Amino acid sequence: MSTFLKVFKVEAKLGMRCIDSVFFGVIMPAGVFLLIAALCGSKPAYDGSSYTMLEASFGALITVGICATAFMGIPLTIADYRDKKILKHFFVTPTSPLLLLGSHFVLQVLLSICSAGIIFLLASICYGYRIKGSVVLFLLSYFFVMVAMYSLGMAIASVCKTVKATNVVCTVVYFPMLFLSGATIPYEVFPTPLQKIAEFLPLTQGIKLLKESSLGIPVGNLTLAIIVLASSCHGKIRISLGIKTLI
Amino acid sequence: MNTLIQANDLTKRFGTRLAVDHISLSVGEGEVFGLLGHNGAGKSTTIDLLLGLKSPDSGTSTIFSLDPRKHRKDVFSQVGVQLQSTSYQNNITVRECCEEMAALYREPADYEELLSQFGLFEFQNKKVETLSGGERQRLSVALALLPDPKVIFLDELTTGLDTVARREVWRTLLQLKKKGVSMFLTSHYMDEVEVLCDRILILDHGKEVVMDTVDNIIDKSPYKRLEEAYLWYMGEEVIA
Repeated sequence: MSTFLKVFKVEAKLGMRCIDSVFFGVIMPAGVFLLIAALCGSKPAYDGSSYTMLEASFGALITVGICATAFMGIPLTIADYRDKKILKHFFVTPTSPLLLLGSHFVLQVLLSICSAGIIFLLASICYGYRIKGSVVLFLLSYFFVMVAMYSLGMAIASVCKTVKATNVVCTVVYFPMLFLSGATIPYEVFPTPLQKIAEFLPLTQGIKLLKESSLGIPVGNLTLAIIVLASSCHGKIRISLGIKTLI
Repeated sequence: MNTLIQANDLTKRFGTRLAVDHISLSVGEGEVFGLLGHNGAGKSTTIDLLLGLKSPDSGTSTIFSLDPRKHRKDVFSQVGVQLQSTSYQNNITVRECCEEMAALYREPADYEELLSQFGLFEFQNKKVETLSGGERQRLSVALALLPDPKVIFLDELTTGLDTVARREVWRTLLQLKKKGVSMFLTSHYMDEVEVLCDRILILDHGKEVVMDTVDNIIDKSPYKRLEEAYLWYMGEEVIA
């Protein structure tokens, strides 16, 4: 077994022992999806809408897993390992801390894909949901949103110096994003002024992309969506800076 | 005697404070070298510089004649390190900790054997956070020995341990010394340094106060024990 797999195996076990990421990343979005589906799944998303609330929620709720791992799983683990000098210890071995960070990254990616997969299975088996748009475009949008959110999460982890600071910043970023971007509460039910504010959240743009690609309707303001998301990807350059601040 | 660790004129500044001030030293094969000084004297920074974890403002350091920052793989496959107040991942068991660390080396020592040697074999499935201070420090030494190292760095290994636990750790280190493993350690306990070290360097505000064998250092002072000699070198009042 390769070094990466051995480290991954141990870290995955540790990840599963800590129930928060599984609960917030996998169980919660699936629960919210079932709730929306049961309450108002077959209703139109808004007056005169061509798609149902369930169809609109699918694209939104699959991002909850991404956000839970991007703003809790990844930054908090990195901050914790930095505080405990675990990353520093990896510097004095023949490998590198990137091995540990990489194994966490893969674990979190798998968790969020698992979260999206469960929602897809629930939707298609229980409610006969089908992606109406291009599957390729939808998958590309999904991974684009993932890269953008993970970049933000990594940027937070590398800028914040302590676990406490990381926790505060992640909470401040995570919860407004979760509630205002349409990830949990459908964007369509917001009053127009609130919708305008939400436009600036990267996740709102990400969810729009996902919704529109899954519903097969023309992507509204693609340029704005890409600019907002790409600017969060820009945070990725922080990762290289962050590695320097890890030890 | 082959030189394993060599430092020439190492200097490190943090803002306006000189943390390490033109330090030169060398450690030979099989030698146990101790770095002494008050808290904040620059001991951990010196270790970080020697290991390449921090870059010096000036000066050079090598391990096995290699720059540890440029030849990390070659150097750290033969060096064991226990950093000051290292913690472990939450919920990790002793066995998982060993498995993960062993995975990082091409030819690691048998960790089950190391655990038995350190009296930790029966704790394999215990979580590291539930171990006592002494058991956890013994685990640190066991992990530092996984690469089957020629040199080990131990930063304040016994700080916070009770007398019995400290002596347990000494016994282990003396066994390693017998096997010819070189050690670079920092400590606040003079009795420990007297038992373990061949040579010591006393630091004050990052500067060398004296570097010699333990016996010579005591002989050059008006006292008979290292603890009093140390205080004398540091200009502190000695209460006889």
